Amino acid sequence: MASLISCPHCGTRPKEEFLIRGDATPVRPAPMAAEEAWHDYAHLRANPRGRIREHWQHVAGCRRWLVVERDNFTHEVFGVTDAAKAGEGAR
Amino acid sequence: MAYEYQAVHALDGTIGAIAEQRTNHLSVHRMTAVAMVLAAPGQTAEAAGILVSNGEFEARFSGPGEWLVLSEVHAPETLAAELSVRLGDFAFVVDQSHGRVVLTLSGRDAARILANGIAVDLHADAFPIGRAANVLCSHLSVNLARTGNESFDLVVMRSFAEALVDDLKVMARSHDLSVDFATR
Ligand SMILES: [Zn+2]
Repeated sequence: MASLISCPHCGTRPKEEFLIRGDATPVRPAPMAAEEAWHDYAHLRANPRGRIREHWQHVAGCRRWLVVERDNFTHEVFGVTDAAKAGEGAR
Repeated sequence: MAYEYQAVHALDGTIGAIAEQRTNHLSVHRMTAVAMVLAAPGQTAEAAGILVSNGEFEARFSGPGEWLVLSEVHAPETLAAELSVRLGDFAFVVDQSHGRVVLTLSGRDAARILANGIAVDLHADAFPIGRAANVLCSHLSVNLARTGNESFDLVVMRSFAEALVDDLKVMARSHDLSVDFATR
């Protein structure tokens, strides 16, 4: 587990200050999308080894949602972005 | 029917009546005015400009577009209203004077004591005077601000104040610490 996360608002903090929600890659389907698309979005997750993108919330700090890009095998952290900014980039 | 309300500090009956201040001292403020300010969407810079410390109040960074504003000049009853007038449509203000407890830890070992429960670099180069941040202290989220080389302010939610003081006493076990209400 990556034990130090650099929050873009608060600086370098221990992982204990964060809550981890999980995979940040699934994209929410349109409201009227097919049931299968919603099923996949709600229930299906890949379980890759290596570089992943996750939603982390800095609960004990700024309380912002962040997207943490890290390697779940080497523990290396590649980048931390505010989820609002990360969302803008994805659009 | 009329009720008589009495203001009781969250730490009344748990601290106080010390003979003298020790090398390190934790001072609990009885009535600091506190307000939470949240900038309106896209108005963070405007709100920050109005909140520049002016001797009347001090804004402590809490999150992006969010500050805890403390004042020793304004009364708890008037600070939020005063800030609302100044900030206008740039931000939302909520009075927190009775919802938070403000403590000042000062003394030669202040940073060392805090380092026993806070995993943030508190060296003066990394956390200089005037810097503030929400940090985890043991298991409690507190707003920490450096107010001097050897003094820090901690702002904590009222119901956690007693637990925080207990934690600070444990963190200071190998240092000389006294705890009392501030005399002001
Ligand atoms: Zn943060």
